[in-house]
Amino acid sequence: MADVTQSISLLEQIRLVSALRWRILRNSLRKKNNRLDLIGMIFTGFFGGILVLGLSFAFYAGAYAFLSQGRLEWMPLLFWGIFIFWQIFPIFVAGFGANFEFRTLLRFPLSLRAFYIIGLAYGFADFSAIASVCWLLAMTAGATAAKPGLLPAMLLIVATFMLLNVTIERLIGSWLERLLSRRRTRELFLGLFILSMVSLNFITPLMQRYGASARPAFLRLLPYLAWLPPSLASRSLATVTRLQPVGFLLNFVILLFYLVLFSALLWRRFAAQYRGEELSETAAPARATVRPIAAIHDGPDRLSLLSPQVAAIVRKEFRYLTRNGFAYLTLLMPPLLILIFSMNSAGWHLTAGGRGVSAEIFFPGMMAYLILILMAPAYNSFAFEGRGIQTYFTAPLRFRDVFLGKNLMLVAVLSAEIVLSLVMLAWRVGLPSAHTLVATCAAIIFTIIGQLTVANWSSLTFPRKMEFGQMRGQRQSGMAVLVAFGSQILMGGISAVILFTGNWTGNPWLPAEAFAFLAAAAVGGYFASLDALTQLAEKKKEGLIEALCR
Amino acid sequence: MPEVAIQTQNLTRKFGDLTAVDGIDLQVTAGQFFGFLGPNGAGKSTTIKILTGLLAPTSGSMQLLGVDFAANPVEVKRQIGVVPEGMGLFERLTGSEYLKFVGRMYGLDRVTTQRRSEELLDFMQLADRPKTMVADYSHGMQKKLALAAAVIHGPRILFLDEPFEGVDALAAGALKALLARMTERGTTIFLTSHVLEIVERLCSHVAIIHKGRLVAQGSLEELRAGISGEAGTKTTLEQIFLSIVGQDGTERPQLEELSWLM
Repeated sequence: MADVTQSISLLEQIRLVSALRWRILRNSLRKKNNRLDLIGMIFTGFFGGILVLGLSFAFYAGAYAFLSQGRLEWMPLLFWGIFIFWQIFPIFVAGFGANFEFRTLLRFPLSLRAFYIIGLAYGFADFSAIASVCWLLAMTAGATAAKPGLLPAMLLIVATFMLLNVTIERLIGSWLERLLSRRRTRELFLGLFILSMVSLNFITPLMQRYGASARPAFLRLLPYLAWLPPSLASRSLATVTRLQPVGFLLNFVILLFYLVLFSALLWRRFAAQYRGEELSETAAPARATVRPIAAIHDGPDRLSLLSPQVAAIVRKEFRYLTRNGFAYLTLLMPPLLILIFSMNSAGWHLTAGGRGVSAEIFFPGMMAYLILILMAPAYNSFAFEGRGIQTYFTAPLRFRDVFLGKNLMLVAVLSAEIVLSLVMLAWRVGLPSAHTLVATCAAIIFTIIGQLTVANWSSLTFPRKMEFGQMRGQRQSGMAVLVAFGSQILMGGISAVILFTGNWTGNPWLPAEAFAFLAAAAVGGYFASLDALTQLAEKKKEGLIEALCR
Repeated sequence: MPEVAIQTQNLTRKFGDLTAVDGIDLQVTAGQFFGFLGPNGAGKSTTIKILTGLLAPTSGSMQLLGVDFAANPVEVKRQIGVVPEGMGLFERLTGSEYLKFVGRMYGLDRVTTQRRSEELLDFMQLADRPKTMVADYSHGMQKKLALAAAVIHGPRILFLDEPFEGVDALAAGALKALLARMTERGTTIFLTSHVLEIVERLCSHVAIIHKGRLVAQGSLEELRAGISGEAGTKTTLEQIFLSIVGQDGTERPQLEELSWLM
């Protein structure tokens, strides 16, 4: 008869889970690429630490000043700042978190209570939670320094506020997890998220135009905020300061009510997970239907100029593009950015402030910026291939065909984007002079084709798998980012020198001629590089397959 | 003299200090249904990856259908079909799109590609989900699609790494019939599987790899002849396998060590 396992204490379970996460991190550092990433993490941690420490002083000073000067009406600002950071920041940094599925713990003999408490404890391990706890403690220290008698009340309020925050954060995380378990929802959500981030750029022009009329509506909204947790925590503290026990009791009880309410909701969510909530979206087997084979239409092949392999890759790339919400957004960006920048600071179609930038500068500048954005994915062009990468090595083709297909698709998309942007620029800012237009177009060819050669090399040398519509764990290889950055700086530097020389010599057509020569050289260099890249692909195939088939 | 489909000489692959494949000399005749067996970590998948061009050998050479792989990889790849470990599917395409993509990659014209894609989807019972992306297929459906993609160009050698894993019994039966038919028509099938009953039922010839070395190779009858079984009973492939792989006495864990479990 096998031994029956003994149940272990909650603390021991938390310790085991922490040790597991640590080992996952430590083992991941055995790979060279992950060790390079660690350097990035250390830098991020260092600057994050400075931010937390600096803001801790600010919260300490704020709490001290508001309480010692009796300006209690300002205290809600501090609580609201922490509350918003604690709830919003985890969504922003989701991509940088360690890839660990909390729900996998359910296979072990955990009670629902233990599962719930471990879940909450996990919430305290996030950067937003650690930073917020530091700031709340700094506020407590500041409040105590100003009025020592407030310490017990402050500790009580802050502890409740912390617990409430972590509960809400876990609840939002859990709802999001359920919402995002379906691929289509996940992609839609990611798209909306990025779009809303981009839309933030419209705030300044909109405020300039409608700010005055929107203010009364905003002020009418303020009293309702008073019944939300940050305001309640602040009012609880204010009532203690003013020695109003009934007021304290009322506000604190409402705060506790929020805690109980959100805890109950979180318990419900965790209980559903604990019972084995099925979030999978895999298609269930269906009865096969007998279907007549469709008539074959051998219409004209629109890609007949290309070899079958290159045409197949172009088609595949096009399908991948149309099924990638994020790529769609990238394509939406150029006209949107032109709209935003032209609203803020360009040309004779001014909207505010009379800060005009002429089309002579705005046009090439905007084109350079668009290429900067649109070329970035090319430096890790196999990111979304996944296990499919093996097909490129088992099929009877030379790897140059893979690059040709991928690069052709990218150039086609870039061309469409640039034409669209040109139209937008003509509408919003106007076109520049003929020599600037020709020089910019030649420079576009030079920078795109010149970068393609480097980007293809980078894609083979620093591959990193990425998943469609996912935020967590979606990072480019640090080295690929560096290569992209360096290559773009080089291209930008060469272009700047040429433009400056044209200006200095007083010959307006010189940049156009120089860029035309460089563009021709870049095209020649690109085709010359394809065979070398085919050989490199053969050398790098094992690393490439390993990185993408994980 | 029968045509040799796969021939390797001293094929070796090292990963740092570890020799995953250690000087293999393999010979598979055209039209054979060849089972490649070995315990976990023996080097089966590494060998199949080398034979299909996914991994370069550290040393040694190989010829497929008489063509040297290193000298003419594209020509060799045109003749082979592969279901690699992990299947190698593009998950953002539908089943039909994926088959058409693979067909064109192997140089089939559009009409042939489309006709074969539809026939294969019907045969694999995948035709009722024309708009479902591969990412949303179940594991078994993905496996069937990978098999369909491996045969769309009518390969002369088919490499299958665990082809029946996750495939339901109904589909597995149809697939086995298809594979048997292909060998009858001259296709060579090189298959790895952990399910020895499947190998025994399908394969005419078997090789066993152990710790990177080829420890047995031949027809099932030849292997049986080398093993002394009980009089009057037919030696199963499992008995052959265990007697060859476990003959040094270190391979079979001693159950006495797990006394707490019993």
